[in-house]
Amino acid sequence: MTKKQLALLLLFVSPLVPQTQAEIKHIEMRVEGMT
Amino acid sequence: MKQHLGRQSGVQNVEVSLRDGKVDVTPKEDGRIDPAQLLRATYDSGVSVAELDMTARGKIVKDASGNLALQAEPNQSFAIAPNELSKALEPLANSATQVTLRGQLYKKPDGKGNKKADASVTLKLLVLEIQKKE
Repeated sequence: MTKKQLALLLLFVSPLVPQTQAEIKHIEMRVEGMT
Repeated sequence: MKQHLGRQSGVQNVEVSLRDGKVDVTPKEDGRIDPAQLLRATYDSGVSVAELDMTARGKIVKDASGNLALQAEPNQSFAIAPNELSKALEPLANSATQVTLRGQLYKKPDGKGNKKADASVTLKLLVLEIQKKE
């Protein structure tokens, strides 16, 4: 694959990749009264 | 409760540990999860939340009053409660630096009170750990 082909591939594939990862990555709760 | 929380928008997975009283919530990739909504949903399922911790990534912004907030896209902002760690974030305010923070967003007030009122309190992020600056 030439550099030009690689550049074109990246150009067309990049919009399909989410721009950002999840901003809230994790939530942990401590709860009471759970049975 | 697990099923109830799993139905909330933005929730990918819910793990409940009955022994420890812990609930782990993994958001979906788009990050569109609302901690306040989760808090309400937990109360609605008849369980009292003692504490809610969150790990989030975003930019530090400062409002006109000088209060810091974590701006987490898409369109979410969490006011930061002042403490020693939040002072270290002040130089990053309104810059392009992305930070990953672990913080306490809610803690049940001491004493007995109205459970429903607890679910509607204003959430403030008390920074417990600055995990990454980029």
